[in-house]
Amino acid sequence: MSKILEQLATAIIEGDIDNTPKLVQKALDEGLEPLTILNDGMVMGMNEVGRRFKAGDMFVPEVLMSAEAMQAGLKVLRPLLVASGAKLLGKVIMATVQGDLHDIGKNLVGMMCEGAGFEVIDLGFDVPAERIVQAVKEHKPDIVGLSALLTTTMRQMAYTIKALEEAGLRDKVKVMVGGAPVDEEFAKKIGADGYGSNAAAGAELAKKLVGAA
Amino acid sequence: MRTNYRVNSGTRFHVFSKDQLEQLFWDTLHILEYTGLDVHHEEAREILKKAGAWVDGIRVRLPSYMVRKALSMAPRSFTLWARDGDPKKNIHIGPGRAHFGPGPTCPNFIDPYTLERRPYIKGDAELVAKVVDALPNIDFCESLGSISDVHVDLSALYEFAYMFPNTSKPIVAWSFRWDDSEAIHKIAITEAGGQEAFERRPNYVHYCEPVSPLVSTFEALDKLIFAARHRVPLVFTPCPIAGATAPCTLAGLIAQAAAESWMGLTLAQTIAPGLPFFMGGVTSILDMQTMIFSYGAPELALAECGLTELAHYAGLPLWNTGGCTDSKTLDEQAAIEGSFSVMAAALCGGDLTHDVGYTESAMTGSLFQLCMMDEAIGWSRRVTRGIEVNEETLAVEVIKSVGPNGHYLRHPHTRKFFKTEFWYPTLCDRHNYEEWKAAGSLPMRERVIAKVREILETHTPPPIKKETRDVIEKVLADAEARAKSGDTKKK
Ligand code: B12
Repeated sequence: MSKILEQLATAIIEGDIDNTPKLVQKALDEGLEPLTILNDGMVMGMNEVGRRFKAGDMFVPEVLMSAEAMQAGLKVLRPLLVASGAKLLGKVIMATVQGDLHDIGKNLVGMMCEGAGFEVIDLGFDVPAERIVQAVKEHKPDIVGLSALLTTTMRQMAYTIKALEEAGLRDKVKVMVGGAPVDEEFAKKIGADGYGSNAAAGAELAKKLVGAA
Repeated sequence: MRTNYRVNSGTRFHVFSKDQLEQLFWDTLHILEYTGLDVHHEEAREILKKAGAWVDGIRVRLPSYMVRKALSMAPRSFTLWARDGDPKKNIHIGPGRAHFGPGPTCPNFIDPYTLERRPYIKGDAELVAKVVDALPNIDFCESLGSISDVHVDLSALYEFAYMFPNTSKPIVAWSFRWDDSEAIHKIAITEAGGQEAFERRPNYVHYCEPVSPLVSTFEALDKLIFAARHRVPLVFTPCPIAGATAPCTLAGLIAQAAAESWMGLTLAQTIAPGLPFFMGGVTSILDMQTMIFSYGAPELALAECGLTELAHYAGLPLWNTGGCTDSKTLDEQAAIEGSFSVMAAALCGGDLTHDVGYTESAMTGSLFQLCMMDEAIGWSRRVTRGIEVNEETLAVEVIKSVGPNGHYLRHPHTRKFFKTEFWYPTLCDRHNYEEWKAAGSLPMRERVIAKVREILETHTPPPIKKETRDVIEKVLADAEARAKSGDTKKK
């Protein structure tokens, strides 16, 4: 690995939001390919973050700083990647379903997905199915992530999936679900494509759903 | 003759100095005055504006005099009444008193017979109320779960309807919105003997939750307005998560929680001066490795103590939290976490301490945890009762009369005090090894399970009036009809 890529990986691990885009620019100036910078520098860093988090050596706020650094770097890189026709991880829409005001879990999943390299659009909380359908039409995401923390609002996840079907959009997006009372069985029952028990699992799942893991 | 002699009539401890409390108090008012809260309720904004608040769009800022006026109107001392008038079951809120009860709305329940974790169902609310009624150290009732086998919009009403006949201890009720609040209220005032009788002797408390950070939601305020207009004592309790929806530092966590609760206080006192109001806050941390909101963390107990001191400094009782755990089962972790937070709540005088019996970080209600904590509360209450010091208890004369090499076993002094000076456990085993073995070598867990089952099989709660039974049937039938017609959303 070249020195600059190593530095970039370290900047990501350290969550260095200021330096990451500068290092990306420097790597570009040195003539490295955008895809190489992404995969051999930034993603390497993020993978190490994931390993350390799982081992209990890194904590949530540190992981989120790394995710932010990742996004800061991607801001520079994304247009070039798009121009070069490289396949990006894609877009995730996150929402807490209608009637539900619990949003921290949803925020965490969104930020972890950003860390994995996704572009994340956050629709907020108490989001009705129609607004999610609307947003899918507008943003054309690869994944819709739904969060519910109440047994009373879990049914809204089913309504949302139905609404996507009715709008003819169901086969255009993958739907992943989560939240404290949600489980694998429920996800299957309502026809979701996947369930994640925590934010890190959510980001892993998202990668799997777009065929990147 | 003693002079200038100070008496500690109980054991207390303090987190903050007076200077620190003053700083916390005024900084909380600063947050309300200069940052304010988003208030998602038009009528509430109008009421507050008329009372002097600065309103910009949905943002409401309260000049500090408004909050101080509200504080001066809220009582520090009042009684919550047992529905059957049993004086032992009344709760006297006031300085130096801590009370305990379960929490609300867990999705799951530990089945007391199969010991499995399963969804909470109708009959469970009856079981919980019955056990609450029987346990001597549990003072008020909540359901430990939300009923999964009724129409989703009616679970709060069913909970109350099933609890009310099964305990005469005061209930803390929650609801979704105006119509189920109304139905719950109808049940309570029927038993009390009408609205006015209820106002004099309230037998339940209404519970609402704003959103952190700094949002008063429509639902929370609508329920608050309902309670204030019907003079139902109120709990207004945010659930700020340190490091996620509130500052990571406990002082900031406490100040934000206080600001969120005092917006409700100010509105409630403006509508109903003198309404009994419990300042709230389930204050704990986001565990930065597992990402759960911890119900077993020392920071929960510590922040609750700090918040309680701030409440008392401001002249309010506090809705405290304790007796809960992150453990998934009735084990040593559950005992450690639950007991320590119970002890902390008892020490700081947490006026109503709820969530006793929560396991799995509020996801699963457990009668076993509740029952085990009843014992921990008894233990803690003995500690907080303190050591009385006077001539009789110092017993210098008794020591003299027994002298060296004597014994106290038959002394009248012992006979006089052994029952009140010592606490007697009902679950903790003090038999010797042989006796313990002869009784089946039962560990704590088995003894707790046996006790819960015995209560369920033998305890008969005091009945409710015939009229109240009829009203319960009627409000449930009306609610079912509303639910069928899809009309439960309306105010
Ligand atoms: C904080 C909290 C609140 C706050 C929320 C504020 C906010 N800004 O989010 C407030 C005070 C507003 C609140 C309100 C209420 N709450 Co609440 N709340 C909680 C609490 C204590 C913690 C939730 C939390 O933030 N946890 C931390 C986060 C990080 O965890 P998480 O959300 O589970 O997310 C993780 C995973 O689930 C997963 N995940 C989440 N979403 C997604 C999505 C995808 C796609 C994936 C893959 C993964 C994933 O990843 C996350 C990170 O690992 C829970 C208890 C609990 N154990 O969950 C109760 C709880 C969820 N609340 C509950 C209730 C009942 C309510 C109220 C109805 C209370 C009332 N009686 O008035 C209201 C409802 C308001 C509404 N309409 O939504 C119940 C739900 C019970 C049930 N039967 O469904 C719980 C379980 C507590 C209880 N026992 O009473 N609550």
